[in-house]
Amino acid sequence: MNNWRLKEVIVMAALSVVFGVVYLAFLPLGGILVGFMGPIGYEPIFGIWFIVSIIAAYIIRKPGAAFISETIAATIEVMLGNALGPIIILVGMIQGIGAEAVFAATKWKNYALWVLMLAGMGSAVTSFIWGMFQGGYIAFAPSYILAMFVIRLISGALIAGWLGKAISDALAKTGVLSSFALGKEYKKGKKAA
Amino acid sequence: MYIHNLNPSIKAITVILSVLLLTMVFDPITPFLFLVWIWILTIFVAKVNIKKYLLYFSPFFIFAAGMFWTNIAFANEPINPTEVVSLFGNTIPIEDIQTALSLSHRILTFASLSLLFLLTTNVVHFILSLMQQCKLPPKLAYGILAGYRFLPMIKDELVLIKSAHRVRGINRAKTLKENVHQYKRFIVPLLASSIRKAERTAIAMESKGFTGSRERTFYRQFTVTTKDWLFMIMMLTVLVTLITLAWQIGYFRWYTGEI
Repeated sequence: MNNWRLKEVIVMAALSVVFGVVYLAFLPLGGILVGFMGPIGYEPIFGIWFIVSIIAAYIIRKPGAAFISETIAATIEVMLGNALGPIIILVGMIQGIGAEAVFAATKWKNYALWVLMLAGMGSAVTSFIWGMFQGGYIAFAPSYILAMFVIRLISGALIAGWLGKAISDALAKTGVLSSFALGKEYKKGKKAA
Repeated sequence: MYIHNLNPSIKAITVILSVLLLTMVFDPITPFLFLVWIWILTIFVAKVNIKKYLLYFSPFFIFAAGMFWTNIAFANEPINPTEVVSLFGNTIPIEDIQTALSLSHRILTFASLSLLFLLTTNVVHFILSLMQQCKLPPKLAYGILAGYRFLPMIKDELVLIKSAHRVRGINRAKTLKENVHQYKRFIVPLLASSIRKAERTAIAMESKGFTGSRERTFYRQFTVTTKDWLFMIMMLTVLVTLITLAWQIGYFRWYTGEI
């Protein structure tokens, strides 16, 4: 935490707050899908719950950004009254670790689209392992579990990885990120061009 | 008011430990008995308003029902396929019904545990306690609290952006597709203004001497006392006793066969 500027911490918190609200807004949607389709109903939209770790990591580019932002977003959800309660903080940490592990594998240097998509899939993997136990998916037929897992991986790559990058790039174009890693990269790119 | 006054961190850890323990249970009776215990605590000890409680709790019955039917429809191969019951004109192995009931009870129990926490805890106290008891770095704790304070401002900002778009001649969305498109137009300005606000807040905090160092004093102090540990021990004892009881009588079910 010591090599983080306060500005980065608070911006990360602000992002987490916005997406904490988005996460909560998607819960009833997931709930409706689950009511009709069973637990697989969550899977197509599951990637939305990983998006903040991708955005924060892509913008700030420091070790821990993916993990901490996802944890804060989960904490904010608890503060706003996510009915899953404090356990959701643990879930946020588990999701964050998946994305963080992918960024760690590139030594926090590479933020190309494929890395971001892999990071979204990383969250999908760790969150699925958790769901196997906590949600009791382990009791389902293997083919059903496999279908859930594949849909979640795709959702993680597309919604978290691809959409997360698209939103961050659109933000960088507005210029508000000029003092952050992503904004600086954009400035450099303009000068070179 | 006993539960309201507990240390928030200890309360949260107790809830998390109970959830983790419950994760290992696959019979329907143990989670149900624990659920009844939590309901007694919530209504008689924490004295939560029953109407409010039912309102918060009702969505979980829908989740639980979804869980129930999926488990029956997509259950794994049962170990004893000969033991069946008839339900809605179909024959279903007893094992599948037990697992399905167990998982739906589990959802309800998790919900009751988290509502017990949420309805008796001040969230700001929770963060302050995490910083004082669980070594959450002050930089992060106050960052989260500052972010939490942004919420009403973000809501105002959204109204502002909506009006600005309308003034410039963009009509209110009518179809679902237009709605999705509209939110795409909102998200970037909304995030941009939150980032600006966050930067200003950070500068204000630093100019008032906030360093983020752990050697600091607190206006609101949180401590852990015997009554907090007693609560944790009480909850875990009840749960372990229920599991042991189930074991003794023989209806307890573990993971076996579910993998």
